[in-house]
Amino acid sequence: MLGQVIVNGLVTGLLLALPSLALTIVFGILKFPNFAVGSTLTFGAYGTWVANHLMGMPLIAAAVVGSLVTAGMAILSDKLIFERLRDSGSITLLVASLGLSLVLENICRFSFGNATRDFDIDIARPLRWHGLRINHEQMTTAITVIICVVVVQILLHASPLGRAMRATADNPALAAVRGIERNTISHITWALAAVLLTISGVLAGMDRAIDPLLGWSYQIPVFAAAILGGLGSPIGAVVGALVIGVAEELSTLVLPTNDRQIVSFAVILVLLLVRTQGLFGARAVRK
Amino acid sequence: MIVYLSTLAVLVSIAALVGLGLNFQWGVAGLVNFGVVGFVALGAYATALTVSSLGWVLAMGLAAVVSAAASTILAFLSVRLEEDYLAIVTIGFGEIINILLLNEDWLTGGALGIANIPRPLASVIPAAQYDNFLPLFAIGLVAATFLVLEMLVRSPLGRALRAVRDDPTVASALGKPVLVLRIKAFAIGGAVMGVAGSLHAFYLTYIDPSQFTSIITAYAFMAVILGGRGSNLGLLIGSCTIISLIEATRFLKDALNIVDGVQLFALRLGLVGVGIILLLLLRPQGLFPEPRKHVRDFFEDSRESN
Repeated sequence: MLGQVIVNGLVTGLLLALPSLALTIVFGILKFPNFAVGSTLTFGAYGTWVANHLMGMPLIAAAVVGSLVTAGMAILSDKLIFERLRDSGSITLLVASLGLSLVLENICRFSFGNATRDFDIDIARPLRWHGLRINHEQMTTAITVIICVVVVQILLHASPLGRAMRATADNPALAAVRGIERNTISHITWALAAVLLTISGVLAGMDRAIDPLLGWSYQIPVFAAAILGGLGSPIGAVVGALVIGVAEELSTLVLPTNDRQIVSFAVILVLLLVRTQGLFGARAVRK
Repeated sequence: MIVYLSTLAVLVSIAALVGLGLNFQWGVAGLVNFGVVGFVALGAYATALTVSSLGWVLAMGLAAVVSAAASTILAFLSVRLEEDYLAIVTIGFGEIINILLLNEDWLTGGALGIANIPRPLASVIPAAQYDNFLPLFAIGLVAATFLVLEMLVRSPLGRALRAVRDDPTVASALGKPVLVLRIKAFAIGGAVMGVAGSLHAFYLTYIDPSQFTSIITAYAFMAVILGGRGSNLGLLIGSCTIISLIEATRFLKDALNIVDGVQLFALRLGLVGVGIILLLLLRPQGLFPEPRKHVRDFFEDSRESN
């Protein structure tokens, strides 16, 4: 029983890992918490669903199409909105991302209504292993997320692009002196975040179903995970996501299932009270 | 038409009260609050649960007190945080309140909500006249709140809050208790949002958790940005404009046959999003920016040029 809960928790955590990663890398470069993560996830899921269900592509090809569309949307919104507001402080950017989130969510709602949608995939029997029950979706989620996390780590730490991204996050002025274009890096960061969010949108859509509030329902745990890891720290976001996932599933042993989001919120509050820099990073207290 | 206008007046009043609360917290004191809807919901439920036993005056007072108390606790826990983190905590609070309202059905009636909420003075005023009375009641409430907040903004407290907003280090060097001031600002704003919740409950006479979505927060932010942060008068004009425009989309349904109810809802929310973004890009200071005082206003010989 406990083993099963922990397995479920780890998978839930892995599902949160990619959105937290997306949140944290955008925070690293642009220094504001992007409230549009949830709706970008929803947007990516719908984009993939259109390619998969309406155009009849296999899910993986559809996810590629969905990622490209969402990345294009993200670059466009960076160009049109966030680039112009860059110097007006993080709270302005934050309010703008809330506006963007309303727009994206409602593009989906306007086009496809509030009804839930499913991908065209075969339903398979769960695997059994030493008394643990593991769904195919859970396996897919675990494998996909682990691959993505490894790829992002390699990208950030072993490629010229990653070096440029980290340099911009660290000190944009100094990076600019070395010839690193801040705007180009920021477009690439948005695109990368959008791809990660689309992939998590697809995984989340497989796990439950797609509806306009799909991403919104992950918003609090995702923020909790990113704060737990220390906003701006990619590896922290992944660890934070796993902790939040396991904590949420464990809480269902004692709390009603509906109250699990409260666990994430409590984690945010307690953390900000006790250890404001998260496990791996930035300071949250002001004067 | 009269019925429509009086409905519009009540809707504008509710939005204006919520906006006034947010304007005090964010505009005047610089504390961002994305959990606005949570405080409105607390006020509405506090009123709905107690109005039949306490009477409407006390129930409204209780709504203000409950929301102010929740604000104080949340502020006490989180106003030390950087703006970004305060934003996250407050948005989380809003969501948690909604989850609690939905799940604690022994108190809140769960998804079914609370019905048959008695309206103020309903026994005195004949039912036929009530549709005319409610807008007056709502506008009176907004006017009273506006006056009180305007007095607060001009009082030493308001001055200290603006100082804390503009530069907390300088304010605390001058001996202002920054933390206490911030908590006060958050509590006062919360109380106003609670009163807005009361009015919401009286207007609909029926409340359930689905009425309290983040759209209420979005309207309030749009109103504050449109009016100009820190300006109460701007806020009133801002919320009139927004709610009237949003309500006008109702007529789109007649003009465009393709639009169904869900699409109309999506269109409204999407337009609010577009509106917020456009305002931030094109007119971030709002229509009526808070008047800036210069040294010259006090000392005529000053050579300060801004």
